[in-house]
Amino acid sequence: MRTVEIIVPPREPHFVGDGFRVHNFIPGGYRLDMKRMDPFIMLDYNSRHYFPPSEKPRGVGVHPHRGFETVTVAYKGRVAHYDSSGGGGVIDEGDVQWMTAASGILHKEYHEESFSKEGGDFQMIQLWVNLPAKYKMSEPKYQAISNGEITKYALPDGAGTIEIIAGEYRGVKGTASTFSPVHMMNAKLEKGGSAEFSFPAHFNTGLLVVEGSIKVNGGEEVPTDHFVLLENNDTDFSIQAVGENALVMVLSGDPLNEPIAAHGPFVMNSREEIIEAIEDFNTGKFGHLED
Amino acid sequence: MESTFYNYLKKKVLVKSEHLPLLADEVSKRVLSKGELLLSEGQVCKNMFFVEKGLLRLYSIDEDGREHIIQFAPENWFLSERDSLYFGTPSGFFIDALEDTEVVVFDQEFVDRASEISPEYRTYNEYILQNHIRHMQKRINLLIGATAEKRYLDFIKLYPDLTMRIPQWMVASYLGITPESLSRVRRGLSQKNPE
Repeated sequence: MRTVEIIVPPREPHFVGDGFRVHNFIPGGYRLDMKRMDPFIMLDYNSRHYFPPSEKPRGVGVHPHRGFETVTVAYKGRVAHYDSSGGGGVIDEGDVQWMTAASGILHKEYHEESFSKEGGDFQMIQLWVNLPAKYKMSEPKYQAISNGEITKYALPDGAGTIEIIAGEYRGVKGTASTFSPVHMMNAKLEKGGSAEFSFPAHFNTGLLVVEGSIKVNGGEEVPTDHFVLLENNDTDFSIQAVGENALVMVLSGDPLNEPIAAHGPFVMNSREEIIEAIEDFNTGKFGHLED
Repeated sequence: MESTFYNYLKKKVLVKSEHLPLLADEVSKRVLSKGELLLSEGQVCKNMFFVEKGLLRLYSIDEDGREHIIQFAPENWFLSERDSLYFGTPSGFFIDALEDTEVVVFDQEFVDRASEISPEYRTYNEYILQNHIRHMQKRINLLIGATAEKRYLDFIKLYPDLTMRIPQWMVASYLGITPESLSRVRRGLSQKNPE
């Protein structure tokens, strides 16, 4: 049985721009540096937070990315985004946006206008999934995945549903395509319901409790907004919702085991590639996007 | 209101949002009138300056009273007398404001502390230092071996809007030529490119 290595409580939140109030788990969390959950190199979690109505949408202005993919999972609230390739759209509740920044993109993200005017609860995950060296400079692309498109697996005995964003659960394939083996799923468990998972032992695996509280392998209770880092000692583990319904983000990925050189929103393999990214960004090679 | 320095740290240096307040709130500002000196020959330079608005100049004065301009620093540039700052020697140079100027003032302690807090700051600080050395190396090479025209073209590439902001004699001083030679260079270029 794959056992719990550590339960990580949420750190003090900080604001990204003025629209995202996030707890950083990766790479700032205890034992959660960029290597430990490789290929998941960044995890910011906006725990449920009420934003009052605002005429001017809150958010993050233009910023670059290179060398990895950003995955935004919206649980509450709506986000509008725009990028330097002319793309854009709205991530609605339950939707997932999987952006392959790869060779480089400029983008900005704001609370969607009508959500901003009405105000409301906001809850999101942003994950960075590292790209294998050979794909780091590939063409940027998007996968805008609406909730209806996400593959779902109904657990037996009405225990709940697994939404398979990427990877595979019990032979059912997830919706998003990935550049390396990655499993990403929302486990929606009814009160008392449980689900079993099996990933190769060397896959780095973690859980973020988004709603409710859970027990892993029937052990210690893990409350809302906590992250569970699992050991790499076995394949199978189970989670169970205790007290009320639970929603858990399940992450498991085959580590790339490649060198990591990071500079804020650039994640490459060497210092030279980071300097190249800084120079390319400074000389406008990431394109143009108005703030 | 986010200051120019804050935006520089955020948008150029790409300092992480959680580190921004720790860095941006640690510096002081100074407002200078045109002509005001920030550093005189013989003083020990304790600070580095980031230009938020306006224009600074680093220069020396020789025994004959002639000014030799080492560097200009318009908006978003850093300037310091690095010999004096790093080695603590009395400065052989002057720094003054060529326009009404607003600068962010910080010292080596800030750089050390900021580098500890933010790996992005550390990397970028080294990058701009290396970039500075790269430009100095190129400038020396041009001063030794290139024609005045080539030096002038390099100047307008490095400082695109400066010819509109400073008198011709300062451009000539930076290039190490007489104002008369600069006029000839400019005339020659305008005949080549009538536009």
